[in-house]
Amino acid sequence: MYEFVRGPLLWITFIVFVGGMIYRIVSLVHLSTRRDQVIYNHMNASWAFRSIFHWLLPFNQTAKQYPVYTFVAFLFHICLLGIPIFLLAHNILWYESWGISWWSLPENLADYLTLVMLGAILFLLIRRAVLPYVRIVTSPTDYLFLLVVALPFLTGYLAYHQYIHYKTLLIIHILSGELMLMLIPFTKLAHMALFFFSRALIGMEFGERRGTTTW
Amino acid sequence: MGEAVNVEVIQQRLEAVKGARMKLWLDMCAHCGLCAKSCFFYLAHDNDPTYMPSYKVIKSLGELYRRKGNVDREFLEQIYEIVWGKCTACRRCSMYCPFGIDMATMIATARAICNSQGVVPEGLQKAIDNIWAQGNQMAMAKEDWIETCDWMAEETQEEVAGLEIPMDRVGANIMYTVNPREPMYYPQDIAMAAKIFHIAGEDWTMSSEGWDDTNLAMFAGDGKCMAHATKMTYDAAIKLEAKHIGITE
Repeated sequence: MYEFVRGPLLWITFIVFVGGMIYRIVSLVHLSTRRDQVIYNHMNASWAFRSIFHWLLPFNQTAKQYPVYTFVAFLFHICLLGIPIFLLAHNILWYESWGISWWSLPENLADYLTLVMLGAILFLLIRRAVLPYVRIVTSPTDYLFLLVVALPFLTGYLAYHQYIHYKTLLIIHILSGELMLMLIPFTKLAHMALFFFSRALIGMEFGERRGTTTW
Repeated sequence: MGEAVNVEVIQQRLEAVKGARMKLWLDMCAHCGLCAKSCFFYLAHDNDPTYMPSYKVIKSLGELYRRKGNVDREFLEQIYEIVWGKCTACRRCSMYCPFGIDMATMIATARAICNSQGVVPEGLQKAIDNIWAQGNQMAMAKEDWIETCDWMAEETQEEVAGLEIPMDRVGANIMYTVNPREPMYYPQDIAMAAKIFHIAGEDWTMSSEGWDDTNLAMFAGDGKCMAHATKMTYDAAIKLEAKHIGITE
């Protein structure tokens, strides 16, 4: 089972994740050339980049209005990308597979950040259930996604510490990570890439066409 | 109960606007709820969550897409309450959304769907009829418009010697356009604008056509009339070879 999830299923995951994202982006761009010609009248790289910049970093009015949420959301996303990419345990696997390696987080720091990540997810979960203006637009899948994201971090933490059922937790960890990656292209998790497009679009619409900012 | 709606027309329109942007916006909403505090309707109604922007979109255009346009008049009248009763399409939410989802445009799209089936505020429909009939939202006749400008010029010349309100002057720097309520109810606004232009030494003119700078057809979700209203102003500016179009608001 371990060999399967570490080998073939991982390949499938990458193909689905990367291929799926490319397909989604390319088909949207292609559709835009047929149905959204109007946006090509006011393309402007500067407005696009500024719109992306002011939201990739918290330099906008929304961040000002929701300081606590912004802080947690940024922690969440930094950990979401930073931990899997710079985890020593993962880097060992990359080296085993392809002989490549890069800088790793000190293990206790990664450990601590994982707890921070789980705390952030808990915050988002409670927020979603408690705040009326978030609850009213919440559907069951929103909770499901929080679980899907939490699982790899939770099981990774437990597996690393080898508290109980190491092999089982390790396999669940790999499976849950693969599940998350494969879901990305087909769900709201695709905002990972689509954020750049939607931000560029409205940045150019407000900026190039109307001469005003979107932050 | 009212007459049946033309589901086919609704479906065609829903499909026609479903380009890459609309798809993106419909799919991307992560239900984060951050748009709530951007909406003055939400804030003014004591943080009533039913006034928060993404909810309003989900319950109007979102529902139209979810039901694939298979709706009845009663449903459209419910949407009417949202898209005209609970939103001014001010676009604050579009600005505050971290993804830049243009919710206001989605509300405007829902308005257009309602309008296509005759579900539209009476006052706005009257304005549309007026625009088609007389080229402005208040159906002011051309002669009355010209006369009002003449009258204001006359009155103001007593105060400011040599003041003119040019009409249809060719090649001016600014072709000035107004809200019809000015010639209709507050002609002194026109006089005041004329004073400013005169003292600033501006090269300007009024136009006998396309002089209405409002676009109530846009608020009504009537795309055809909206385009017509805008085109009249542009055509007038081109005909008069004006360098700029000035608007009163």
